[in-house]
Amino acid sequence: MSRAVRKTMGNQVRLMAVAKQTQRWKEYLSGYLFITPNFIGFLVFLLGPIIAVIYFSFTNYNLSTAQWIGPENYLSMFRNTGYWNSLVKTLIFVGVNVPLQSGVALLVAVAVNQKIRYPGIFRTIFVIPWVCLPVSIGMTFSWLMQTDFGMINQLLRSLHLPGVPWLTSPKLALYSLILVNAWEYLGFHIVIYLAGLQSVPTYLYEAAMIDGATSRVRFLRITLPLLMPVIFFDIIMNTIGTFQIFDIVFVMTQGGPGAATSVYNFELYKQAFTFFRMGYACSMAVILLLIIIGVILLQFWFFRKRGSYEVG
Amino acid sequence: MHNSSITAETTTYKIKKRIRRKTVLRQVEIYLFLCVISFIYIAPFFWILSTSFKPYAEVMKAPPTIIPQEWHLENYSFAWKAGSGNVGLFTKNTIIVVGAIMIGQIFFCSLAGYAFARIKFPARDFLFFLYLATLMVPESVTLIPRFAIIIKLGWIDTYTALIVPYILGNALGTFLMRQFFLTIPVEIEEAAKIDGAGSFRMFWRIMLPLTRPALASLAALTLVFNWNNFLWPLVTTNTESMKVLSVGMSSFRLYRTVQWHQMMAGVVLSLIPILIIFFFAQKFFVRSMTFAGFK
Repeated sequence: MSRAVRKTMGNQVRLMAVAKQTQRWKEYLSGYLFITPNFIGFLVFLLGPIIAVIYFSFTNYNLSTAQWIGPENYLSMFRNTGYWNSLVKTLIFVGVNVPLQSGVALLVAVAVNQKIRYPGIFRTIFVIPWVCLPVSIGMTFSWLMQTDFGMINQLLRSLHLPGVPWLTSPKLALYSLILVNAWEYLGFHIVIYLAGLQSVPTYLYEAAMIDGATSRVRFLRITLPLLMPVIFFDIIMNTIGTFQIFDIVFVMTQGGPGAATSVYNFELYKQAFTFFRMGYACSMAVILLLIIIGVILLQFWFFRKRGSYEVG
Repeated sequence: MHNSSITAETTTYKIKKRIRRKTVLRQVEIYLFLCVISFIYIAPFFWILSTSFKPYAEVMKAPPTIIPQEWHLENYSFAWKAGSGNVGLFTKNTIIVVGAIMIGQIFFCSLAGYAFARIKFPARDFLFFLYLATLMVPESVTLIPRFAIIIKLGWIDTYTALIVPYILGNALGTFLMRQFFLTIPVEIEEAAKIDGAGSFRMFWRIMLPLTRPALASLAALTLVFNWNNFLWPLVTTNTESMKVLSVGMSSFRLYRTVQWHQMMAGVVLSLIPILIIFFFAQKFFVRSMTFAGFK
């Protein structure tokens, strides 16, 4: 009898194991089913194209044929002054825009974070351009920066100052575009900093105030050090975003006057869709990818060194 | 003893008073600073509104009139419906395309995000790592191969070309939803499992309703990104009737002899829909900015 009991028990254990196994397979299956549509999209429109763009960059791809030509695209790219021009313009764009935008955003965020009335209203005002169509913002500023009848020059003239050829001067056009870009996305960076400032404990400020620390000292000694990780994160994000500047340039200057504002993505677009040098444009894309990877590695290095990403 | 406590009190009172006077001064400075910046933000919008109502002769005038002397509403009707490509048509196209993308992206991102967070299956972490690794890849890097796919499929100048590459979800949305599902206590799921809920039922009936705030933020993010997306629709659509707002507005500017006052009426019209949505759901937009941390 005891043997019979043991046998049925053994059967039960086995049955349970089988049930558990099928249960597990069921879970695997549902996991794969859940991610399948998303993963197909990911493969076809992101991972696949990343691999394809590397392959195409070594071919003379022109939408119909793609012959392997080795590093020829890269070599002709590095010999092309247009390429270097676009890289330099983009580096200037990033180099001016990022400190300007992130710096002003930090100041505004600190101001909004003080005990003021209706901080929400100010925040709303600064965030609005972020949701607006960049193309329409570009058109708006094309009009505002128009040399003869634009609002900015009209305003300058009413103050008896000379008008400025914002978009028609090869020297100024790039900086005008930087101003527009900084204006448009400032709110985004303000929000990032406001979120960071929220995590700085207020008792630190109160203690510093009782010790008689001026607001400048409080900013330099409390806010800035505690906010450093957020600032660095924001600068990295800003750099990556600004490297991809395109819309505003396309609507406002078309890369001109001359090639004064022909930034990286605009040059890439032009090579691909005006001259149909797809293979060449792909090698430009690969270099862009490498630059972005470099910036991200810099971020990893920074946070590894600091050891933490949290504020405080 | 009694005396010294009084002096101590007066000194703290003095310090407090000094601090208060300083903070009042500070407040004035802060308001001034914020008002100047606010002016820089409000003036452009005011100016395009003003221009959009003026007749041509009044637009080309120096010094300008700040408030239009004559109000010409026909600038708006011109921008909204004149010609083969007009803001009305562009808005319609944008709503169709972005609407479809939003529904798909929210559904597929949360579905995959849930699986990555809570269902165990082989190679899950490796697959998720692939998503993470490609999170920051610029649109322009993958542009040409994606374009080649659309050409091969003969989808140029169709809604399909605009919708399909985005409707199945994206790496960022999946990542964000996964992070949100991870914050939901496991006990809730275990209770439902005992009640015999299957995986999809669990996701649809129990988990998804719990992530409503995350879904709203994801929706806001998806809306802003796709409504404003420019490069992709620029290369995949050519005819005026297929253009979305971003591309349509740019051709307004570059290829047609439209005057400033009509163009500004178009700009105002192009901004109205998204601004209305923004004012009603501002909270979610702002939250989406911080939880994404991406442009």
